[in-house]
Amino acid sequence: MRKHTAKMGSAGLGRVLPVVIPTLFLLAWIVVSTTGLIPTYLLPHPLEIAEAGYAYVLGHPGEAPYAGRFLGDAGASLFRVGCGFTAAVAIGLPLGILSGRLFVIRKLMSTSVNALRAVPGITWLPLALVWFGIGMKTTIFLVALAAFFPIYLNAATGAGQVNPILLQAGAMMGVKRLRGTFAILLPGAMPHLMTGLRLGLGISWAYLVLGELTGVPNGLGAVIMDARMLGRIDMIVVGIIVIAVIGRMSDQLLQVGMRFCFKSARRMA
Amino acid sequence: MTSRLKAVPLRRSEVKEKVLCIDRLSKGFHTAAGYLSVLDDVSFEAESGELIAILGRSGCGKSTLLKIVAGFIPPGSGNVLLNQKPVTGPGPDRCVIFQEDALFPWLTVGENIAFGLKGQKQSGKSRATEMNRFLKLVGLNEFRDYLPGELSGGMKQRVALARVLILKPSVLLMDEPFASLDAQSREEMQNLLLRLWKELSHTILFVTHDVNEAVILADRILLMDKNPGRVREEIRVNLPRPRKRESSAFMDVSRRLNEALRD
Repeated sequence: MRKHTAKMGSAGLGRVLPVVIPTLFLLAWIVVSTTGLIPTYLLPHPLEIAEAGYAYVLGHPGEAPYAGRFLGDAGASLFRVGCGFTAAVAIGLPLGILSGRLFVIRKLMSTSVNALRAVPGITWLPLALVWFGIGMKTTIFLVALAAFFPIYLNAATGAGQVNPILLQAGAMMGVKRLRGTFAILLPGAMPHLMTGLRLGLGISWAYLVLGELTGVPNGLGAVIMDARMLGRIDMIVVGIIVIAVIGRMSDQLLQVGMRFCFKSARRMA
Repeated sequence: MTSRLKAVPLRRSEVKEKVLCIDRLSKGFHTAAGYLSVLDDVSFEAESGELIAILGRSGCGKSTLLKIVAGFIPPGSGNVLLNQKPVTGPGPDRCVIFQEDALFPWLTVGENIAFGLKGQKQSGKSRATEMNRFLKLVGLNEFRDYLPGELSGGMKQRVALARVLILKPSVLLMDEPFASLDAQSREEMQNLLLRLWKELSHTILFVTHDVNEAVILADRILLMDKNPGRVREEIRVNLPRPRKRESSAFMDVSRRLNEALRD
């Protein structure tokens, strides 16, 4: 549905409200750091973080221990998330839609999916390490596995909940199965598909860090783990902030991309 | 039959061709309380261009009848013949206007109307011309780019009409399409339907529980009984068109039908 035009006042309010809590949080942080309420070896001053972050993102390699590593780390992490998430979408989306529509597939999948879902993703880490070794493959495996479930489950719900009267309407207008799937079923399920993709992408970042904590040489998770061992609390916080920012940006990119590609995402989700 | 028609050519006005033939149709469902017979031995025929109202109280199987004709559910026994061919599934030769909103909410009014044309071999330009023609026909010119969610109930049903009329179906099946509209919109839609019917001369099966609606619209009314659903009576409405709801002849027919419905 098209959104109703926001009232004059709420447009400005809509821009202010999202930054209220982060601002208050930052102020409180400055206060507790400056007054020494929390010692800096537990939580460094925001300025230290800013300096470390500046060096990490914009510094030249070699200037300082982490200077200029950002691009390489972010690139490696994005690639891993991209591979894992793509695999999860490629398997989870079609399988979810099939199980939402077809009784046989739904029943066939139910035991396995629900049993596997009960196992926390982190449990797979030791096994993945044995299978794939430390690094790239393990990380991609964990990301794909974790992102699969929200994508699969939401696709199944969405496909199952498409109003049957829309499919009947299509059938009476002479729409065959293939076109019905792409022109009615998928758009009808779009709000759920979108939710699944967004949840899946979000959880991808969580499992990326898990995979990278195991001792890969590069990546955002690796930086955090490395910094912990060297006692660089400021770099841990920088790593957290960078992941938060990139995670949020990738979520928005996903939404913008989906809205650009699909009318149903533009008009309904 | 066909050979005789060839041998003795008849004028169209004398013998109209039978478009739709409902032949001893029965249907029942298994429920928790046992077998429930919904339709029992229903037979009738519809001539080309005829507007037939199927009138009955809720639960008389009139919607089930329509769904069988549409091909959404198979008959228990009996046959539905469309132009002498048995109906086996839904298709664009028998289009349905549903009671509830069945437009695609992610498509604009124009896209909804053109939806059924997409599968046909037609150039994009001629599709657009057709779409605009039917948009105008239902009086929604200025609403082409609106989404269904932004329309009133009456306007949605106009779109629903346009998107099936554009497919030129042999039979139009209407399942209490105006039941959820307010009185004014309902009357407007009835007038619109009559205007379109006069212009495009479709064969229409119109299911309703509203006596006045049946009388204002129909050439012929099939009055249905409940438990099991049967055609109890067939009433030909010979009132001249346009019909006046206030005329005494109209009210006579209505009263008779109301009484028949009551017992």
